[in-house]
Amino acid sequence: MSKRFGGLTAVSELDFEVREGEILGMIGPNGAGKSTTFNLIAGSYPASSGEVFFDQKPLLGLPPHRIAARGILRTFQHNRPFEGMPVIDNVLVGAHRSFGVDLFGRKSKNKEHEKRLRAEELIEFVGLGGMAQADVGTLSFGQGRLLEIARALAGEPRLILFDEPAAGLAPAELDRLAEIIRGIAARGIAVLLIEHDMHFLLPLAHRVVVLNFGAKIADGLPDDIRRNPAVMDAYLGSHAPHP
Amino acid sequence: MLAGAAFLLGDYHNDVYRKMLLWVTLAIGYNFLFGICGQVSFSHFAFYGIGAYSVVILLFHFHVPLPLAIVLGVAVCVVVALAVAIPSTRLEGFYLALATLALAQLFVVLLNEGGEITGGTGGIANYRLPAIFGMQMRGPWYTAVIVFVLLMTYATLRRLDHSWFGRACRAVRDNPEAAAAMGINVARTKVIAFTLTSALAGVAGMVYAFVDNTVNPPIFGLENAFLLLFMVIVGGSGRHAGAAIGAVLLFLLPFWLSPLVGHHHVLVFGVLMLAAILLQPKGLIGIWDRLGTRFSR
Repeated sequence: MSKRFGGLTAVSELDFEVREGEILGMIGPNGAGKSTTFNLIAGSYPASSGEVFFDQKPLLGLPPHRIAARGILRTFQHNRPFEGMPVIDNVLVGAHRSFGVDLFGRKSKNKEHEKRLRAEELIEFVGLGGMAQADVGTLSFGQGRLLEIARALAGEPRLILFDEPAAGLAPAELDRLAEIIRGIAARGIAVLLIEHDMHFLLPLAHRVVVLNFGAKIADGLPDDIRRNPAVMDAYLGSHAPHP
Repeated sequence: MLAGAAFLLGDYHNDVYRKMLLWVTLAIGYNFLFGICGQVSFSHFAFYGIGAYSVVILLFHFHVPLPLAIVLGVAVCVVVALAVAIPSTRLEGFYLALATLALAQLFVVLLNEGGEITGGTGGIANYRLPAIFGMQMRGPWYTAVIVFVLLMTYATLRRLDHSWFGRACRAVRDNPEAAAAMGINVARTKVIAFTLTSALAGVAGMVYAFVDNTVNPPIFGLENAFLLLFMVIVGGSGRHAGAAIGAVLLFLLPFWLSPLVGHHHVLVFGVLMLAAILLQPKGLIGIWDRLGTRFSR
């Protein structure tokens, strides 16, 4: 796929795939096109050309809510909680698609109860146990990030997209985050992780795609990426072309 | 209990009581739209008028039987609401506010210019509620009908609020982009909330039509749209109880203030409104909550 903004090609002829239970890391220096790629998949930007297939069905061009309905949920780099709701309701919004249209009667009440229990489990899973009724305004930045993850998981995703999840977190929180992401992949969910921080990503990812200037410059196992001179150049900038 | 009170009140107080109940009905509906779904609309009171005029015109101009007139009246509200909401929710920001402001103004113009059908500036008067199952609903019994409509409106809104739909509305209000990423169709959620609350306002208007047995343009003026907004903000936006308290307070305030300050009570409203926004954005219900937590400690 490709994306152009006016005369600038942000992502050009990028080609990659993610499989179930796999953590695919995507790294690159600032401006490499990571976020653009992310927004193309999540439906926030329309692509200029190309195709994205999920389950053999095309995805490109769908609005974000329909992409979510297909089982692709995301977190935001800058936490975007629903401020007016307690933690558990934030998580329940993530489960929106699973409610059907029932509003009245026993069936809808049972569903609500079932989803509420599930939301509590997820809150526990990400490490916010005991905070289900807390006002989201009282959460720390790191806790807010964990809430983003619980909310996305509530949608029973088959692919989860992480937009720079390590950004702004303390070292202790990073270990916890890595553990959660491994746990998610272990459930058979495909994980696409877009990350700036190589030290966080390389030990975690099963496979890594490296972007620079909107193009893929490497694709392989984390160990291969570490030894790849093109990647090191891109990060250290020694051979980066100057305008 | 709400209905029982009607049997203890005299005619004058019954009339005040009925109108207060109708304001509460309107305010809790508007609270759902503005406070819970975050849509700034100025047409809520116009839909009250559309409901009132529709049922009167259908009954006495077209001689439609009452049950059918009610159904058709709701249908008119739904069609008008969809016609306003669908184009304006596709646009960003305050276009809904502008479109609904235009609708509210246009409605009053249409009432004045409606000739024989709307009765022009004088409106329509001297009609009476047809008998229901051979019974004439009068006096406190009609107040009981209003109480019933209020309770049904409240039950509907409360159920919606405590469901996935209410959460979706709050999510759309708090962060539309994140709501969409969670699979919520933002535009559709807004349109449904707008249409539903507008139809509920229409139903309240139908009931109102037989309170004074007259409908005329000045009753449905634009200033009422702002009064509704005041009620919800002063009482506590996003909370049913807050909207109800705000409605009761701002409805009754002129009765207490008028003997003291005449028409300057509007000024007092303005001050209250400012005080609410600056000092207590959660409204009176927010103060109540704080008192509650203080005493429970």
